[in-house]
Formats: sequence, C-alpha cells, structure tokens
Amino acid sequence: MIPWRTLLPIAAAIVLTGIGLLSGSYAVTVLGFAFIYTIFCTGLNFFMGYTGQASFGQSAFAAIGGYGSAILCADYGWGPLPALIVTMVISGIAALLVGYPTLRLRGHYLAMATFALGLIVYEISIEWTSLTQGYMGYSGVPPLSLLGYELGTVEQQLVALLVLALFGIFISNRLRQSRFGRALAAIAGSEAAARALGIDIARCKLIAFVIAALYASAAGSLFAHFVGFISPEVFGVTMVVQSFAMLYLGGIGTTWGPMIGAIIVSILPEALRGLQEMQDIAYTAILIFILIFAPRGLAGLSSLFARGKSRKLEEA
Amino acid sequence: MPNAIEFTQSIVNGISVGLIYGLVGIGFCVIYNASGIVNFAQGVFVMLGGMVCQALLTSLGIPLILAVVLTIPLVALSGLLMEVAIVRPMMNRGATLFAIILATLAAQIMVERITLLTLGDRPRTYEEFTSGGPLKLGDVAIGYQLFWILGCGALLVLALWLFFTRTRSGRALRACSQNREAAQLLGIPVARMMLLAFGLSAALGAIAGILVTPTQYTAYNVGTPFGVNGFIAAIIGGFGRAGGALAGGLLLGVLQALAIVVLGAGFKNVAALSVLLLVLLLFPNGIFAGFGPNAKAH
Amino acid sequence: MALLSVQNETKRFGGLLANDAISFDVKEGELLAVIGPNGAGKTTLFNVISGFFPPTTGSIHFDGRDITGASPHRVASSGLIRTYQLVQLFKQLTVLENVEIGSHRVTEGGVFSALLRPPSMRRQEEEVRATARELLRFVGLEKQADMPADSLPYGRQRLLEVARALAAKPRLLLLDEPAAGLNMQETAALAEVIRRIHAGGTTVILIEHDMSLVMQIAQRIVVLDFGRKIAEGTPDEIKAHPDVIAAYLGGTETLDA
Repeated sequence: MIPWRTLLPIAAAIVLTGIGLLSGSYAVTVLGFAFIYTIFCTGLNFFMGYTGQASFGQSAFAAIGGYGSAILCADYGWGPLPALIVTMVISGIAALLVGYPTLRLRGHYLAMATFALGLIVYEISIEWTSLTQGYMGYSGVPPLSLLGYELGTVEQQLVALLVLALFGIFISNRLRQSRFGRALAAIAGSEAAARALGIDIARCKLIAFVIAALYASAAGSLFAHFVGFISPEVFGVTMVVQSFAMLYLGGIGTTWGPMIGAIIVSILPEALRGLQEMQDIAYTAILIFILIFAPRGLAGLSSLFARGKSRKLEEA
Repeated sequence: MPNAIEFTQSIVNGISVGLIYGLVGIGFCVIYNASGIVNFAQGVFVMLGGMVCQALLTSLGIPLILAVVLTIPLVALSGLLMEVAIVRPMMNRGATLFAIILATLAAQIMVERITLLTLGDRPRTYEEFTSGGPLKLGDVAIGYQLFWILGCGALLVLALWLFFTRTRSGRALRACSQNREAAQLLGIPVARMMLLAFGLSAALGAIAGILVTPTQYTAYNVGTPFGVNGFIAAIIGGFGRAGGALAGGLLLGVLQALAIVVLGAGFKNVAALSVLLLVLLLFPNGIFAGFGPNAKAH
Repeated sequence: MALLSVQNETKRFGGLLANDAISFDVKEGELLAVIGPNGAGKTTLFNVISGFFPPTTGSIHFDGRDITGASPHRVASSGLIRTYQLVQLFKQLTVLENVEIGSHRVTEGGVFSALLRPPSMRRQEEEVRATARELLRFVGLEKQADMPADSLPYGRQRLLEVARALAAKPRLLLLDEPAAGLNMQETAALAEVIRRIHAGGTTVILIEHDMSLVMQIAQRIVVLDFGRKIAEGTPDEIKAHPDVIAAYLGGTETLDA
C-alpha cells in the first residue's frame, strides 16, 4: 500500500511533465532543468536536511560529473551511461578524500572550506584549458542514451529525467527510513547524544557527504547531456545559491521539498515574463525572504497540519 | 628561473595587494566580533567601493576627493541595509548559523547582479591618486598608489585602534565581542552595536576597493576573490585582532605574488584557495593566534 | 570481577584539577550513586568514563577491557551508555523515533542493507519499533509516541532520554542528575523507573543532587569533594561519615532533603 502522501507528488510530477510535453519544447527545457536540479537538491538535502551539515561547494561534484561525462563522451566516444557511472565513482572518491579532513571542521570553517572547494573546481575548470576548454566551454556532448537507444528529442529526455528524479527521491527516502538514516537524523539533532548512543559521527557524515556528491555528479552529467554544452559558469557560485533557494523554498529535510522547490524556482522566472534578465536577483530575493520568514519552506506547511493532527489525537 | 629583481618586484606588488586583503580581513573581524557571524558578502563592499567611485568619477566628473567622500558613506549604507534587512531579522528569529551565512552569500549574488544590470560587465579602473611614477629603485618599479595604500592602511589601523580603545562606542563594541549577553546586561545597546559594526565593516571594504582599483581593475564579480582572500587574512591572523588580520593579509599577498612568479598567473586563485583549505585544516585557530595568550577555537 | 573499574583517574583543565586520583569499582548488577557539592567533579568524571574527555592520568576498565581514552562512540558501542544533565533529545523527531535511534548499538546495517532491505533487515526494523514502543510503555510515554520530542514537558523529556538509553540495552547505564529540574511527583516516578531498570539486571551509576532520591535507591555511594573521593560506602555509612558532613555543611547543601 502506498500512502497518498507519496502518490500525490508523483502524480503531480507526471501531470506536470504531461503539460510540459504538450506545451512545446521551451516548457520541456525548463522542466528538464527542474528535474536535473531536483536530483542535485535531493543530494544536498541528504547532507543538509537529513544530516544537518552544510556544504556550500556541492557544485564541485556537479562540475566533475559534467566535465567528466562531456569529455568521456565527446572525446573518447563513451556511452552516456558508463560515463555517468564512472564520473559518479570519481566524484564519490573525491568526496571521500576531501571530506575526510574537511568534515572535522564546524560552523563558519566548514562553510568556508566547502565554499572554497566549489571555487577551486570552478577556477580549475576555467584555467585548465587543455582539458576543459576554459571559458569557451565544452560543446558536442551527445544526448542521453539507454541500452544503445539514443533519446534524440528533448521530450524523450524529459521523461527519462522525470524517472531519474523520482528514482533519486526514492533512494534518498529509502536511505532515510533505515538504521543508517536514523543515525543521520540523530547527528542533525544532537551530536553529543548521537555519540553517547554509539553512533560513529565522523563516518556517518562522510558517507552522507559522499552520497550527496554522487547525486551532484549525476546531476552534472545529466545537465551536460541535456544541454549538449557546458561551461564553467554552469557550476559557479550561482548554482550553489540557486540550489539553496530551491531547497529552502521546497522545505529542507523533507522528502519532496527538493522537487517542489526545483520546479517552482525553475518555472517562476519564466512565468513572470520579462523577468528572465532578473532571474538571479529573483531567486536570491526568494531565498533571503524564505530564510527570514519561513525557514522550513513550503513543505513545512504540510507538516504543520500533520503536527496539529497528532496533537488532537493525543487529546482524544 | 626568475631573478632577484622579479622577486623584489613581486614582493612589492604583494605588499600592496596584501594590505588590501588585510583591510578586508579586518572588516570580517569587526562584524564577527560584534555578531558572531562571518559575513560572506564582505567582498561585495570592496567591489562596490571601486565601482561606485569609478562611476562617480566618470559620470559626474567630480574630483577624486569628492568621489571618495561620497563613496564611503554610500557603501557603508549598503552594509547598514544588509544588517537591518537580512541579518537582524534572522537573528531575532533564531535562524541557524548556516542559514545566516547562506543569506549573506545570497546577498552577495544579488548585489553583484544588480551591479551588472546597472553598470554593465565592462571592467573599469581609474587613474592612480598621484600621477607620475612609478618610482624606480634600480630596476624595481614602485607605483605611487602603493604609498597611498600603505599610508591609508597605517592611518586606518591607527584610527581603528583609537576608536576601539578611546571611544565609548568602540569600547562597547569590544565588550560585545567578549560576551554579548553580559554586554546587554551592562546596558550596551547590542543591536545598535551590530549596526555600527556592519557600517564600519562596509566602509573599510569600500576604502579597500577605492585604494586598490587604480592598481588593477574592478568589475561586478571581483568581490568573491577579495572576500575569500580577506577571509584567509583574517583566519591567518586568528580572527579577532586587527593587527593579526593585517599581518595575515601581508603574508598572503606576498606569498601569492611569489607564487605567480614561480607558477604563473593562471592558477593563482586555485593556489590561494588551497592555502585557505590548508590553513583551515592545519591551524583551526589561526597561525598568529597560536602564539597569543587567549587562543580559542571557533 | 568489577564491571567498571576506575583507577587513579585524574583530569586537569589547565590549572584546574577537576578529578584528583579517583578510584572505585562497580560490580555487575550494582546501583551506585556519585554525590558531591557543585563543582566537585562529578560530571567531569562521567565525561571521562564515557570517553568525552581523555583522563590526564589513570585508567578506566570496562568489562575487563581498557577503555581509557577511547572515543565516545566506541565506549557507547561496548555497552556503556550515558544520559546528560541537560536533556539532549533529537528535538525535531518524534518520541518514538528518538527511542528507535537508541537501538543503534544493538542493531546492524548500513547503506546497502538500507537500499536492498533484505528480509532480515525488515525483521530487525519491526523489532526495533516493537522494542521502542515497549520501552515507551515502560516509562509511561506510549500515548505520546508520535509527538515531536520537544513538545513534551521537561519531566517527560527526561523519561524519554532514559527510554532511549535503554533501547541501547546498556550493560552499564550512567545517569547524570536525572532528577534535576523535576518536581516531587516526577522525581518519584523517575525513582520508580530507575528501580525497575536496576531490578531488570542493568548496572546503574547515578550522579545526583537530590539526596532523598540517592538515599532511597542507591546501594553504595561514592562522595566527591574538590575533585577527590572523600568517602565510599552504603547510604547509612555515608550519612554518618564526618568528612561528608563537613563537605556538605561547608557548602550550601544539606544531607537531609
């Protein structure tokens, strides 16, 4: 039995995809970005929402995924799927090596260190021109393909991205609802108490960081295939802030928050015509507004109802 | 292999940019001490300082001194706005540390984009304060702007020292940095002190931006490198003392300049960021703080 | 053989000598109380035993193994579970989830079993939930199982913390001032819970200020003052011990509460 709270968002996402497919290729593109960001934000949510840590540098792993897939597919003729998996492994190893020393830091230092990671990879993607072609960017990345069948149209790719985004949410939710997921929630709640119950905090944080990096890497690879072109700007600081806007708008620490936020933040500037130029200003404003007034985001509203219900049950 | 002259020259260049990092670093410390927050948008004040000053100079054609006198309060105002509109409401609502950091980062992007929309993406610069130069010492050229930076830097540190030790407000700010609750109990208006800190910090950033622009250029996106390098300067200095941040900035500036000579300019930001990571990981209390009597972890 | 053996444990913070050559043993199945005036070094002692600080000198043995300087999660994994003077709950989670997390030590499974969910894992999850509900009944919180932990009144938060610690099936339970901030009624309920935990075979060490509670339930008492152990014995022996009386009369607290 699947509860309506799970079915409803899935149905909504499918309906939205259907509307997108009927409204033409521009809507399809916008939704495609939204689903790619859903995957990125689901990983970020895993590390920040579930584990209560902060990374301001997840864009680094998206860049590894994006450039890795672009180079492997365009220059070496790899298939998109093997490239996706191999770059995920590379990102995971990078996260393991980098996270081991970095995650010992706390507060401002953790924030600044992860921020620096993102900037380092960004700078490398600009300067290592022999590998990345610098500001010029990397073009000619083939579209996604599955089992030898190329998803040539954006419509086909959109459906694939929807499935992948839902799969990503499914995995993340499954991990949360387990002994491992509970340990992460414990760390978010109180590190002292988690430690006193025998939870290996450093290890759990590191695993959560690696998982978040895998999501980011996959999102980066998918972006490269979907657009066919990547440049350093794609994985810059704006990516970090934009994904945070999505995460906080949708509701950090909730299952569907990343998807809700990603869709709204992607569609909003398109809906308000003439705002495209101000897109970055719009979502930074949204982010600041939410951080101040509704730090639990839109999904937080529904849990308000849930909480009210359990209170009533208790009185009865 | 670079020769002695190139090395000397790069040290001279490093000193001038390092002092700027130091000023930005002091800006970080002023806000951190008053509020316990690291303002990730600190670099934006440097960018605004240079951009606003340049815009005033070219569009209004006013003399430099007037442009400077107008720019500093304008940028300070942006700092006050940031405090009133973002940081204060978040602190009042008990927002988490990461949320506040994130909000300041978002503010940085927002200011950058607004600047981009209003002033365009063209890099800008203006004349050094004193024309003529550079001063030649043998084969080493020293731009006159370096003396302006040195002089203003020294004056600012002196003024800050006087402010923090001799004035009521300065002493109150220091009390806030020791213990905010206790300061509140002593009747110090902590909220007003935070406002003061943001204004002061933004003004410092603006001065840094005004001073440094003639030696290089400014554009809507120069904030992040200055912010990051200023942060490194502050943590090398142990996050607290103005002198420490200035020394940290000098050290960083010179190291960076030498690294450019040895490694080439391409990866200088990567090198600086790697230094940041190393300092964070190896010296979580700062390098100079380790020698101080009351070194503490953050 | 003693379950816990503290030998010559000394903890220095800069110039402050928080624990000064403290030694004592706890036998399997015992209920020991550690008392002493404020600042006597009781919580420091707990922090050293549970691995949160390494001792400056001396050793801690648990179940025959040297755990001196082991990290807190390792100490906890070996079955030595502590609670906190200031309640440390996972506030955003439900009451039930708090207790479920307590079972971490006695369950298995990481990322892969979470993804694949083999039958053994599903069985384990059911057991975890059932045990958690049982423990909530044990402390009288079964009705609040689905409420957020931070919506409980303070006295019940304490009980929840105890239930969570029990979910870890402790071999030795360290309770740090569990009655602090509780009213008479809540303290009585807590005393009953502790007595039943002890009766169930769990070894308990209790730091407590509330003398009536300690005198009621402790089998043996260790008294600290200025970081040193000044007495050890049964409640009756402690009540009559001249050094203990002096220590308490010298301070602001009295033995008869």
